[in-house]
Amino acid sequence: MSHSSSSSDQVVLDVRNLRKRFVLHTIDSRIVEALNGVSLKVSAGEHVALAGTSGAGKSSLLKSIYRTYKPTSGEVFLKLDDDSFVDLISLTDSELATLRGTQIGYVSQFLRAQPRRSTFEIVTKAGIQRGMDSDTAKQAAAYSLQRLNLDEALWDVSASMLSGGEKQRVNLAAGTISPPRLLLLDEPVSALDPVNRESALELIGTLTDQGVAVLAVFHDIDAMERLASRVIVLRNGVVDYEGSPKETLARLEGVAR
Amino acid sequence: MTSVVSPEWVLKVDQLGKIFGSLSENGLALTGPDIGSSKDPVTGAIVAAWDVSFEVAAGEALGVVGESGSGKSTVMRCIAGDQSSTAGSVQIRTSPNEQIDVLSLTPSERRQLRIDKIAVVYQDPAEGLDLNVTAGGNIASPLTAAGWRNFSSIRSRASELLLRTEVPLNRMDDVVKSFSGGMKQRVQLAKALANRPPIVLLDEPTTGLDASVAAGVLDLIRGLLEEFGLAAVVVSHDFSVIEMLTNRCIVMNHGRVVESALTDQLLEDPHHPYSQKLVSAARA
Repeated sequence: MSHSSSSSDQVVLDVRNLRKRFVLHTIDSRIVEALNGVSLKVSAGEHVALAGTSGAGKSSLLKSIYRTYKPTSGEVFLKLDDDSFVDLISLTDSELATLRGTQIGYVSQFLRAQPRRSTFEIVTKAGIQRGMDSDTAKQAAAYSLQRLNLDEALWDVSASMLSGGEKQRVNLAAGTISPPRLLLLDEPVSALDPVNRESALELIGTLTDQGVAVLAVFHDIDAMERLASRVIVLRNGVVDYEGSPKETLARLEGVAR
Repeated sequence: MTSVVSPEWVLKVDQLGKIFGSLSENGLALTGPDIGSSKDPVTGAIVAAWDVSFEVAAGEALGVVGESGSGKSTVMRCIAGDQSSTAGSVQIRTSPNEQIDVLSLTPSERRQLRIDKIAVVYQDPAEGLDLNVTAGGNIASPLTAAGWRNFSSIRSRASELLLRTEVPLNRMDDVVKSFSGGMKQRVQLAKALANRPPIVLLDEPTTGLDASVAAGVLDLIRGLLEEFGLAAVVVSHDFSVIEMLTNRCIVMNHGRVVESALTDQLLEDPHHPYSQKLVSAARA
């Protein structure tokens, strides 16, 4: 029996022919085609890294799945608790809002937090929102902040006072505590120094063991090499090619040289 | 087909409209965002709001965005009963077997609704408070209206509310007009929450406050909405307020809704030309 993580019954995210076109009314109704028909699948316990030059559509794809961008056409099927699939594009705003946070997580490179809320509270609250009881959430928050080497002296400090790298770790801790079944990561370690980056990558690596489907954008090839089960390379808003990290990244590096 | 459940609404506004004056036969077609005016060119009537619909669930905050004159405050005033409406319906449902058709109520029934069902926080504290009365006295008024008679329990409820809204208790017996702007808004919030209403309407709650004071008041509002699971409507032209308090919004222009969206989507991917203009002006 193959242990393949991409067997079709494990599919959590099934994106079909997704298109996103921006019409910029303020700039002479200019049209920008960000996604030109992207199709891909991500299974439970699989970490799929998106690669490609800037402007290829990586972040647009994550945002269109999360519906921060409203896709122009296509389908984004997400598997729910009862194993049924729902098309995120067809949901109403309030239906989608209830799925966010519990079923789909999105960790960007920036922390958007309430001004006077402490670091520890932000992470704990994220756990509670995903169904943990308060004590479990506190333990999990402490564990994950420790794992990310966030100095305990900062736990009761308002997150708005933290440095960029510290904020990014709080963001990652909040995004990965009691992780949702699908996690979208957009450059989650971009501001971290090598030591903290290492712990962050380790934490992200444990997500797949927990059965989370991860779709991620990293700008460094090393992170993709370590974490990805599969790499999908985008170009001009479509999937250019995909494969194992080894073959795709070699090809990417070849292009870079 | 889907097992995704939409949260049950507590407040439902359906095709609400408010017209000042009498409209000509084609008045609706002659006004609106496409025409660029809310004024009927034939009769001079103003279409302040038309065909406005939305639902809000408990624990959810809906933003109403637009420039001044777009009709957003009119919508709020029609819901609150400060103003009569011309068309549509407003329903509130606070339990499975209690549904109230707000617009069909008598004036005295509507006043009753404002005591314990719908609270309003105004931009101008003078609208929500009696400035010549003490903070404690202002909070006591909705409590006595709701039937509270015992002086010491009213005092203790008032201090509990002031504590929660971070007003120093030693100011409880000072008249509100001696308070700073930020503190007046905190007293308004305490008064609004006195009878634990399920619905709160906030009309530009921090406009006119210093940035640092506004941040504190916003933070307080956010905490209160979460803690009490309120269904909230937040009217504001300020996107930082909308971003902080709401997860969905509608955009109004010349009395009509031109776009409704998740708040993050409105900010990052606005669709209607007017929304794009508003967002790019705010981000500039």
